[in-house]
Amino acid sequence: MASIQLNNIVKRFGSFVGVENMSLDIADEEFLVLLGPSGCGKTTTMRMIAGLEHPTGGQIVIGGEVVNEIDARDRDVAMVFQGYALYPNMSIYDNIRFPLRMRKVPADQHDRLIRRAAEMVELGAFLDRKPGALSGGQRQRAALARAVVREPQVFLMDEPLSNLDAKLRASMRVQIKHMQRQLKVTTVYVTHDQIEAMTLADRIVIMNRGIIQQVGTPDEIYSDPANTFVAGFIGSPPMNLLAGEARDGIFRSEGIEVPCPRTVTGSVTLGIRPEDCTVGGGHLQGMVYGVEPTGDITYLTVQTGKRAVEIKAARDFRAPIDTPISIGFDLSRLYFFSENGERIRRPA
Amino acid sequence: MASVRRDRSERLWLRYLILGSWAIVCLAPMLWFLTIGFRPRTEIIVPHPIYWPSWSLDAWRLLVSDWPIASYLRNSVVAVAGSVVIDLVLAIPAAYALSRYEFRGREDIGFYILSTRMMAPAIVAVPIFFLFKNIGLLDTVWALMLVYAAINLSLVTWIIRSYMLDIPKELEDAARTDGAGDLTILREIIIPACLPGIITAAVIAAIFAINEFLFTLLIASTSKAYTMSVALANFTGGSDGIIYNAIALVSFLAFVPILIVVILIQKHLSRGLTMGAVKG
Ligand SMILES: Nc1ncnc2c1ncn2[C@@H]1O[C@H](COP(=O)(O)OP(=O)(O)OP(=O)(O)O)[C@@H](O)[C@H]1O
Ligand SMILES: [Mg+2]
Repeated sequence: MASIQLNNIVKRFGSFVGVENMSLDIADEEFLVLLGPSGCGKTTTMRMIAGLEHPTGGQIVIGGEVVNEIDARDRDVAMVFQGYALYPNMSIYDNIRFPLRMRKVPADQHDRLIRRAAEMVELGAFLDRKPGALSGGQRQRAALARAVVREPQVFLMDEPLSNLDAKLRASMRVQIKHMQRQLKVTTVYVTHDQIEAMTLADRIVIMNRGIIQQVGTPDEIYSDPANTFVAGFIGSPPMNLLAGEARDGIFRSEGIEVPCPRTVTGSVTLGIRPEDCTVGGGHLQGMVYGVEPTGDITYLTVQTGKRAVEIKAARDFRAPIDTPISIGFDLSRLYFFSENGERIRRPA
Repeated sequence: MASVRRDRSERLWLRYLILGSWAIVCLAPMLWFLTIGFRPRTEIIVPHPIYWPSWSLDAWRLLVSDWPIASYLRNSVVAVAGSVVIDLVLAIPAAYALSRYEFRGREDIGFYILSTRMMAPAIVAVPIFFLFKNIGLLDTVWALMLVYAAINLSLVTWIIRSYMLDIPKELEDAARTDGAGDLTILREIIIPACLPGIITAAVIAAIFAINEFLFTLLIASTSKAYTMSVALANFTGGSDGIIYNAIALVSFLAFVPILIVVILIQKHLSRGLTMGAVKG
């Protein structure tokens, strides 16, 4: 119910730069996922939007209003904290009720709202307990329930599912998405889980060392990475990145020879996703290093020189290790990156 | 399975034995002390201890007939309880500010507060006497209440502050995003979360206050404001000599209120003291 703009936000802790010159336009009702390695500034960004951290520079706009000088309690934001932050002396019921009381939601609606939120996170049976008497995953769900019990302008969720088992996580994921679509509340969501990011996000923001690397739809992030960081971060296993030399329309590296656009020359990095490689084909010659069947797919690791290349092979693929193998690349899905890591795009 | 269970119950039995013995060691002096209060005077000053007392209510009679014991006890309780309340009302907000807000000289203020505790009390005895004389509170429990509160305020603030430092900041952040203001956060989040610390501080302050002697002697000149600790001194001099059985009885009576308080809040206290122990 509100758009968010971050205009050249900077956050320094002393001389350490937590977030560097970040500009981001989050549309009304959008589900935006922040993705990045530990310590890249995701929580810091969230805390600045919530008003818990004052940006060193730049402007934060929520719903058309500059909120830099507006206190956290007066921003209509609900946040799930990475460390849960449940009130230890209150029962789960009272924990979930706290924002309702503070935001002056009429008392006769409390019980219904609390139970609905608790049901959503499958915590209905634990409302009388204190946080100390819950497991980590239950606490995390209680924290989630406390955030979604009311309808704020913005949801901020800092890894709200990180501590749940795979099954529960999948069901929570669907529920969060459903709820967000239903309530139409602008949501910023932090996760380490790429599946979560891909399935939930309208757009994904990839961050590294406090700097935005790329903003785009899950599709764009996956199939059109802006640089080697994004390419090497997304996908599991992520894109193979192979440094080599390109000249006269041929890219060469140890054990590798593939055609490339003539515009690509000099020291470059070739990127190829594991699923765009096939066994047999002759672009890469190497030795089988490992074969890992998982049931629906077999992960094949091939060694060329000192490098390991990951390949998603057919489910029934098997090969003894240390035998020579030839790998083919889908030539329409090659990516080239310049020496500084930026993508070399084909001239349009 | 069976052997494991027997193992455990044996260890439990041993544990009770050790704890029980220790309890007897700790309690024996107190019981001995209590029996002194119920012996005739002659039995106390014999060269060899008499283990089984010949019961006597001499001391009790002395207290009840010649002595406004109830009023002393009431003075003690009122002055101590009042001082603890004053301390908590002042110390909790102060501790919160000291633990949370960044301001210039924060550490200095902390040290200043603590330093009031380092001074020898005799130094301020005379000024305090004249202070209360001038405002006409000499020989009242109100003066005692204020003095006790002043003596303990720094310590109480410091103990509570150390507990508040341990409360994760994220808790307050959560409360703030939920829409709570500073006072609500203090009342609904901070105080409940550091309740063991507050209780610990209150009990320690109460013990110090009930044992306070110097300032009480200075301020209380008649039985109107005498407390148990000062009244006790009445038995140590004079033409009757030292009246040990009365001293023992009064000491015991002075100790009872604290004992009751401690038993009531034991759960919090033991947690509080150990929590305080591992903190700086
Ligand atoms: N109060 C602070 N003082 C100094 N440095 C800080 C402070 N808060 C965060 N940082 C630093 O800023 C960087 C970004 O922290 P942040 O918590 O935003 O990371 P994150 O992306 O949320 O990581 P994670 O995925 O591990 O939660 C980190 O390197 C962190 O050490
Ligand atoms: Mg974080």
